[in-house]
Amino acid sequence: MRREMCFINMSKESQMRAAINQKLIEMGERERLKELLRAKLIECGWRDQLKALCKEVIKEKGIENVTVEDLVAGVTPKGRALVPDSVKKELLQRIRAFLAQHST
Amino acid sequence: MSPAGCSHVNGFKVDNWKQNLRVIYQCFVWSGSAETRKRKCVVEEGGFVPDALKITFKAKSCMCHMCGAHLNRLHSCLHCVFFGCFSKKHIHEHAKNKRHNLAIDLLYGGIYCFVCQDYIYDKDMEQIAKEEQRKAWKLQGIGEKYSMWEPTKRELELLRHNPKRRKITANCTIGLRGLINLGNTCFMNCIVQALTHTPLLRDFFLSDRHKCEMQSNSCLVCEMSQLFQEFYSGHRSPHIPFRLLHLVWTHARHLAGYEQQDAHEFLIAALDVLHRHCKDDNGKKANNPNHCNCIIDQIFTGGLQSDVTCQVCHGVSTTIDPFWDISLDLPGSSTPFWPLSPGSDGSVVNGDSHPSGATTLTDCLRRFTRPEHLGSSAKIKCSGCHSYQESTKQLTMKRLPIVACFHLKRFEHSAKLRRKITTYVSFPLELDMTPFMASSKESRMNGQYQQPVDSLNNDNKYSLFAVVNHQGTLESGHYTTFIRQHKDQWFKCDDAIITKASIKDVLDSEGYLLFYHKQFLEYE
Ligand SMILES: [Zn+2]
Ligand SMILES: [Zn+2]
Ligand SMILES: [Zn+2]
Ligand SMILES: [Zn+2]
Ligand SMILES: [Zn+2]
Ligand SMILES: [Zn+2]
Repeated sequence: MRREMCFINMSKESQMRAAINQKLIEMGERERLKELLRAKLIECGWRDQLKALCKEVIKEKGIENVTVEDLVAGVTPKGRALVPDSVKKELLQRIRAFLAQHST
Repeated sequence: MSPAGCSHVNGFKVDNWKQNLRVIYQCFVWSGSAETRKRKCVVEEGGFVPDALKITFKAKSCMCHMCGAHLNRLHSCLHCVFFGCFSKKHIHEHAKNKRHNLAIDLLYGGIYCFVCQDYIYDKDMEQIAKEEQRKAWKLQGIGEKYSMWEPTKRELELLRHNPKRRKITANCTIGLRGLINLGNTCFMNCIVQALTHTPLLRDFFLSDRHKCEMQSNSCLVCEMSQLFQEFYSGHRSPHIPFRLLHLVWTHARHLAGYEQQDAHEFLIAALDVLHRHCKDDNGKKANNPNHCNCIIDQIFTGGLQSDVTCQVCHGVSTTIDPFWDISLDLPGSSTPFWPLSPGSDGSVVNGDSHPSGATTLTDCLRRFTRPEHLGSSAKIKCSGCHSYQESTKQLTMKRLPIVACFHLKRFEHSAKLRRKITTYVSFPLELDMTPFMASSKESRMNGQYQQPVDSLNNDNKYSLFAVVNHQGTLESGHYTTFIRQHKDQWFKCDDAIITKASIKDVLDSEGYLLFYHKQFLEYE
């Protein structure tokens, strides 16, 4: 495999983000968070709401022509807004707890 | 995507493409966890990739090679392992410049074709993705996870032949059905209502999972399958459960006859017959204390730990027994209820401090799990002292069942008297069993008096979903059931009649059998 190297200039904040992201992946925590989020979103009915939104987009564009990009563009803003605050909060708490545990 | 499918994958499907795709999934998409990377290397047909390498790969290299972003829907080129983000179209740029038409989404594993300008659905590739995902879950110790149902060929055919669909809406009454009383059979009807509204049992039966191995048509599990079909058929007229009654009479002779029977006794007998009739081994190792894989044991069996401590040498002998229900003593019975054992501090558990002075379910559970002095008349042979000694006995929960069924001992049958105890016991909608676990007791013994309050630990949390009540006297009584439908709607089932009930109606009722369902399930 060939790897294309590149020089990347990052701001402080994005360095921080990258470091956290790396830690989450290394410890397997990101997969667990993904699973937790998935379960929470199903539980609160978010997935069903999104399904309905997707169906609208598909009807509008026609099943033959619609692409995943159309769906993403069509449901992303509403989908973000529909995530309950409680879910966001729980996830944030989990990430905080994880970082506190692994920050030494 | 166009219905014809993508023809551009053929350019990728050359030489060792399957193996290459596997490695990409392993390294960049579904990589295993850190716990396993130290221990395991995965040997693949075409050589091996140590897990440690995969993780490092994924963690260090997963950022857009053009802008450094690690979010923004990162994709990897399938032809040369270039990473680019999708949001800012850096992966598009690469595809155009190099004419590398396929890229893989690193978060979800979908494959995108830049010629078709959409994600594509290729049978072989999806198969590989699925297999690798399963392997990764195993490596992470998560085991099989929930995955979406995909109809098989046969199921597709069935769907085509039966075009009528019933939709479950928030207010629909599918699943509610009255049961005709066949002469004092409310003891059976009330249990049937509770069982048909046990979420996991319903899922089992409605997905047609019972594979019958009984010869004649006397299988109670088959009858239950039938019953679930009746309940969830959408019919509104009351169902006549005569076949069920007949089968119960044949298989549990002590319940035969037209007298009023005890609903609790019926529940245990029904579970026992169901367990005996569904010995279909699904190949999984049974990890409940009953060592049985049947759906009944998977749902209802818990493990009760009994610690007997010798008062002389303080040696502890521990046994674990399976249970299907927990029978709880009530205040007002002839065995003294209070005082509670030392160590119970009356702290607020399960949200019920009791200003009214009413006994709570938690009180009953605390009493159930307190150390009990067995006294001089009940000496037990101690394996440490090699002689009979006085001892204390304490019960705790070693393993919680998915459905916890509490039996409030309202009927007292002793040599002297037979009576009903009508003491009010308040019970919560949501119950946390953590204080009654064997593990909690161990951490208390090790000096950690304060259980760490972990609001994120939901393992031992339960929700109430059915309450069986007994009205009237011992001699002439009647059973009814409150059942939960959808998330928070309650109905009262009184034989053939079903009426809407409020949460208050449920919580104010006397309570004879309380059914709680685990809020969060682990995948096994
Ligand atoms: Zn294509
Ligand atoms: Zn490329
Ligand atoms: Zn980028
Ligand atoms: Zn059967
Ligand atoms: Zn069994
Ligand atoms: Zn001893």
